[in-house]
Amino acid sequence: MEILEIIGGILILIGSAFLFLGALGILRMPDVYNRLQAGTKATTLGAMSLIIGVGFLEPSWMMKSIIIVVFIAFSNPISSHALARAMYKRKRYPIIKSEDKDMDAYIEVFQQEEEEVKS
Amino acid sequence: MKNTIVILLLATIGYYLGTIFFGIGFGDAHFANGVKDTYLALTTSELKVANTVTSIVVNFRGFDTLGEVTVLFLAATALGGILYKKRHAVGERTVLFPASSIVKSGAKLIFPAIVLLGAYVFIHGHLSPGGGFQGGTIIATGFLLMLLAYDNFSVNHNVLSFIESFAGIFFVAFGLAGLLISGTFLENFMPVGTMNDLFSGGVIPIIYILVGFKVAAELTGVIYTVLHEKD
Repeated sequence: MEILEIIGGILILIGSAFLFLGALGILRMPDVYNRLQAGTKATTLGAMSLIIGVGFLEPSWMMKSIIIVVFIAFSNPISSHALARAMYKRKRYPIIKSEDKDMDAYIEVFQQEEEEVKS
Repeated sequence: MKNTIVILLLATIGYYLGTIFFGIGFGDAHFANGVKDTYLALTTSELKVANTVTSIVVNFRGFDTLGEVTVLFLAATALGGILYKKRHAVGERTVLFPASSIVKSGAKLIFPAIVLLGAYVFIHGHLSPGGGFQGGTIIATGFLLMLLAYDNFSVNHNVLSFIESFAGIFFVAFGLAGLLISGTFLENFMPVGTMNDLFSGGVIPIIYILVGFKVAAELTGVIYTVLHEKD
């Protein structure tokens, strides 16, 4: 009983830390892609570990929390993929500070594809 | 002459409305204790419903809920009527970029789960937070997800309006049955069972399931109409 509570508490602590870092990243990062990266990865892991921790604290809820975790594992990456893809298709490219560096490796491939679609 | 008559009529109506309103006495002890305590006591003793909000919304204030459902129905119908001439044909709406295959297969996976969650929320409306309106809205978001992912996804409007009319008619029918059997419109006339059971609370779960179906059908129709608007 004690061990389950300790494991649950640690998992909830990890989850809250990741959620806090995700929120901080959304505030701090400069453009959409960096914010998505901070938001999605941190909140996916944070929410999963928090909910599993709640399942450890209250063992009768374990099944429900596993179902919720599976749902988050499906929905959260897909939604952020859709957001990033929409931004890329609307030509909001990442912010690049130094001019000699090309941070977007796919920009030529994408432009070629777009011309092929148009022609 | 005409203006004078209008002013006199308005003054008369205003006088009588004013006397009624000033006679009510808001904030009296009657309002502070009477209604609230009656509701709270009857919810657990007579209706055996765990969720007090549900018992108030569906049983004590059931007539108001019927009005809300009617307002939603009217709003959906009026939206459909206004946008009728500006709509695209089925499966021909303009999409800026089609959704990627990840979104499509993900939507296919998640859609049944969303509908199941909505059904759970309105079936358990008398036991846990939630109810017909909330569950119906969740189901409508599932249809919104499918409409966003698949640009040729379409819902059958005949089925939607059938569900709407069916649920509305049965809501009123249950109300009239209460009027005939127990003496008051929407009065509970079925056995209440034991508290915290799925089959308890008399007509409350049945009416909330009907409301859930009705709200889901109406909001799906609204989403479908708005997405098929021509610019």
